[in-house]
Amino acid sequence: MALRWNSEFYMAMEHRDLQANAMALNNTGTYVLLAGRRYIAIRNLDDNDVDNIKKFPRQSKYDVGAAEWNHTDYNSDLCVISSNQRLEVLTWRSGELTQTHSLRAHTRVITDLNWHRTDPHLLASSSVDTFIHLWDLRDSRRPTSSLSAIAEASQVRWNYVNPHILATAHDGDIKLWDNRKGTAPVLYLSAHLAKIHGLDWNPNIESQLATSSQDNTVKFFDINNPKKAEYVLNTNAPVWRARFTPFGNGLVTVVVPQLRRGENSLLLWNTANRATPVHTFVGHRDVVLEFEWRKQKGGDIDFQLVTWSKDQSLLVWRIEPFLQKLCGHEPDESKDLDSDDIFESVEIPNKLSQKSQALQQEFSLLNLQIPKMDVLKMDLVKRFCTVCAKTNNFLVLLQVSFPTAYPHGVPPTFQVLQDSSIDDSTSAKLLQTLTHIAQQRVLKNRTCLEPCLRHMVATLEQLASDLNDKRRYDSPYFEPPNLFGAYNEDAYIPFPRTSGAKFCSVSTLVCFGRPTVSRRFATKMDSSTPRALSALGSVFSSKRPSDTITISSFYYQTQRNRPKHINTAHNLFRPQVVLYDTSELFYVNKQLAGKYILDGDVGTLCKYNGNEAARVGRWDLVQAWTLAELVSGPQQAEEDMHCNPFGTQLMKFLIEHYASKTDIQMAAMLSCVFGKEHEHTNRKQSLKSLLSPGTGGSPYHTIPPADVVADGWVFPLLRSARSNSLDNLRIEDNSIVPLKVNTTTSLYEYYKQAYAEILHRWDLLYERVEILKYMCVPGEIHKGVEFLSDCQHCLEPSRNCRCAACKKLSLNCVVCHISVRGSSNCCLVCGHGGHTIHMQQWFSSYEMCPSGCGCRCLIETGTVLSP
Amino acid sequence: MTSLLNSIDTGHEDMIHDAEVDYYGLRLATCSSDHSVKVYDIKNGAHNLIDDLKGHFGPVWQIAWSHPMFGNLLASCSYDRKVIIWKETQGKWSKYYEYANHDSSVNSVQFAPAEFGLILACGSSDGSISILTYQSETNNWDAKKIQNAHTIGCNAVSWCPAITPEPAFDSNHVGPMQKRLVSGGCDNLVKIWKEEDDKWVEEKKLEVHSDWVRDVAWAPSVGLSRHTVASCSQDRRVVIWTSEDCQSWSSNILQTFDDVVWNVSWSLNGNILAVSGGDNKISLWKQNLDGAWKCISDVTKGQATNNEQRAL
Repeated sequence: MALRWNSEFYMAMEHRDLQANAMALNNTGTYVLLAGRRYIAIRNLDDNDVDNIKKFPRQSKYDVGAAEWNHTDYNSDLCVISSNQRLEVLTWRSGELTQTHSLRAHTRVITDLNWHRTDPHLLASSSVDTFIHLWDLRDSRRPTSSLSAIAEASQVRWNYVNPHILATAHDGDIKLWDNRKGTAPVLYLSAHLAKIHGLDWNPNIESQLATSSQDNTVKFFDINNPKKAEYVLNTNAPVWRARFTPFGNGLVTVVVPQLRRGENSLLLWNTANRATPVHTFVGHRDVVLEFEWRKQKGGDIDFQLVTWSKDQSLLVWRIEPFLQKLCGHEPDESKDLDSDDIFESVEIPNKLSQKSQALQQEFSLLNLQIPKMDVLKMDLVKRFCTVCAKTNNFLVLLQVSFPTAYPHGVPPTFQVLQDSSIDDSTSAKLLQTLTHIAQQRVLKNRTCLEPCLRHMVATLEQLASDLNDKRRYDSPYFEPPNLFGAYNEDAYIPFPRTSGAKFCSVSTLVCFGRPTVSRRFATKMDSSTPRALSALGSVFSSKRPSDTITISSFYYQTQRNRPKHINTAHNLFRPQVVLYDTSELFYVNKQLAGKYILDGDVGTLCKYNGNEAARVGRWDLVQAWTLAELVSGPQQAEEDMHCNPFGTQLMKFLIEHYASKTDIQMAAMLSCVFGKEHEHTNRKQSLKSLLSPGTGGSPYHTIPPADVVADGWVFPLLRSARSNSLDNLRIEDNSIVPLKVNTTTSLYEYYKQAYAEILHRWDLLYERVEILKYMCVPGEIHKGVEFLSDCQHCLEPSRNCRCAACKKLSLNCVVCHISVRGSSNCCLVCGHGGHTIHMQQWFSSYEMCPSGCGCRCLIETGTVLSP
Repeated sequence: MTSLLNSIDTGHEDMIHDAEVDYYGLRLATCSSDHSVKVYDIKNGAHNLIDDLKGHFGPVWQIAWSHPMFGNLLASCSYDRKVIIWKETQGKWSKYYEYANHDSSVNSVQFAPAEFGLILACGSSDGSISILTYQSETNNWDAKKIQNAHTIGCNAVSWCPAITPEPAFDSNHVGPMQKRLVSGGCDNLVKIWKEEDDKWVEEKKLEVHSDWVRDVAWAPSVGLSRHTVASCSQDRRVVIWTSEDCQSWSSNILQTFDDVVWNVSWSLNGNILAVSGGDNKISLWKQNLDGAWKCISDVTKGQATNNEQRAL
């Protein structure tokens, strides 16, 4: 296999059969070790021959969990891998790999291991068995010390600077140990609420530690101040590993492999600017399993990152000086990493050679073969390019200028040049979409020229074809011939539904499904319905790799294999939607909804509604209406029967019964009727107390309030009983209603509202409003235009007929000069107005304002309201 | 008895993945693997194609109608990672808004109850749920995202109804209504979310399913102060969840079906549940007064075999 070269990375190796999940680089950065269940492979990275790989078969039923090469020069040929409960130390010498030690002490699977940074013999390993063992290779029979942690350890890391400190991760917590004091952790950090996947010490700062977690964050801790994270980096996916870069204050993160989220799982950040990643490494076709920094060779300005992905390819990425600079690294000033301040601000590169490098790269990579488009000019120094796109009817000259900071958060500017043959609105629209696309790309620090140009061509073609055929367009760019499999995460997209049923509107059941023919073939397949979309690909990949894969072909596959029937599949295949009327399943009845009345007194309306129910054959409802009629009946005959507790209870039970049967219609109707009865009662009660204070009212109304406090109780009756002036009639009426709102009332309110919605869906708007009139609380708060009038006395705006500020009636009728309480109308222009009825009468014979101001109110208001 | 109302030959070139009738029951929208969304007029038994909406570049998985108080809006989501909101103006449908901020296929869209305003929830295979809120002042859509709502991917979202016979009407308590969502995903979980101070937080995690959850549906209240949620899964089971307060939920397995279950849908009254799945069959379920769930009918591909008993 040939090396695949790219400006940013090169592929060092691709081996499908390795199935390795652990990778390690040796301390010089020359050799890379890849370990899986069946093989251990070693490759020399300095050698460009791709096939130069040493493979050593491995006889084990366990996968390799972790692998690491010794960091020291003394033991640079030693490498350790973990296999279930065992650690195997391998020696790589003169092209041969031999196992020199086998370390056994753990009783459960080993989760992580780490060589000591400076001591060539020391090794730490963590396991599910809760122990962290420290090994000295000079005595490999047992661990030199064992740290007991109670909880299982998922990660272990030695500090880079302090040779005694090591950190371990336990679910969401971090423990720090000192290998001189083995019994207990020296520090305990509650870092995350979710599991910590990765742990790394800052190579330069002794006390700084980064943890990456399932909760989508990377936290940075200062162990001298462990209460709170120093700062937090938020990403949009769970973070598997976060490791510091050997230069500047950068950090590389990778998404949890199981997620396979998107193509861009490997990100480079500047820890001083945590809003967006500095760079996204695009190249792997699958998730990155492991990554490591190669030791920088003398004289080389690039750093190199080696990544191993699930797609079984090993890529080596060059981190160019401009990226290093974005991470706060100044290569020219000092090679000494220790001098880098962690909070150093990002500097925009200001040398011409460096800043134009990215642009030069983009220009050179630009695919000039975009159909119907020519690049006229590319100027690196003035940082712009001019392109010309020609479709059937259009000619567009576009100039793209690149600001110096591009592509790091700053989009280029687009300009349609004079000679173009599109109108202004189209060019405005075009520029808008181009800017949008560019913005989205540069936010992720990606270049945007090619996608923008392609989009422009697609848009122009669409415009051209729109002219020919109003709505039909096909853009060659956006429609890949085989869509499925275009993205690599099909395994996590659910298998599409091909049949279903949805209840819609009031009682429509919408059904769709596969035609019966396809079902027959489908059942022939032995397997049950697959889980994920990737099943489609696997079914067809072997047979017809290039053909289009669609969901229907999944069900038709048997048929398609016979060449004779290739076309019949389409004939048989007629996707249908069937609608069922399921209204018979429900108790609500549209016909009755239109017939029912709520006007008039309770007795007659119950009788009327009962008759209507009988007419449509709902005898069950007739009974209920008759009962309701009986309950309300005696009310007219005898004044006090409305208080009959039996009747009230009965109505309550009736409503409850219908509600539990989900007959919202009946429950709502009865609630309204019942509510109506209460209204009568209330009104009568209040009237009675008003009109005959001596008999029906309270004896307290003459007594001053202080005297009514008896045994510490203030009688709540007092207030309503005392107000007996006619002026307060309305207020009193209102004050009674809220008192009656309790749990059952709120239920009744709900029934009315739910029924009103059904009526709305049936388009029975009049009936809906009838029901809503019985709501105690207004169903919907008015949002929209509202007319306020300024009080004519104090000029404060007032919403009601009575001004809130001065308590006077806010509007006098311009005709009769009496204050308006009820409905009023005003001219929007001159502001004069009054009682609706007076206005109506006046304007039926006059055009001018009755005030004599000279305004032609009707015409003027008409022009204001007309759009 | 159910009666056949209408049968529409959609003319889609590939499988249909969703079909929904609008608020009034006058129009039908369908979406398909052929990348298109079609809108039909179905008033009085007619079936005339009004428009064929093209704008997606992948199979369209689900569609949703908005409440008519916001105009005629239709949302669609697709494998191409986009959500498109279509709007009808003077009989013409056009793209109104496009949301492309998901990293993988968008599997589910649903409009919130109209009482909350014009809000759309989208669940995607990138594991996140987006809540798009229309801001009438700025004529813009404001997007909020629940990152990593479901590990691996989110398959379905459903809103809690706004009108519930809950204390909302109580004496003087007129606070903002609580927005809630239920979602189901590839982590086999059903999750309840609520909005708290402008942020969506996980309220409850429901764990019973043993495989990917394919659909969730929050039932309209039936006049009981109780929340009911139905969920269905690749594990061939449908689970009915009930709760008084959204804190403690009890589960009840409706049935284990012959094949994977893809869809659950509640009737407007909230008492009948339609279940459909990989075996191309549809069944309707109803709770009797004792609280037990009974199958009341089976609609298999057009032939309605009804064994419906109406207890009056």
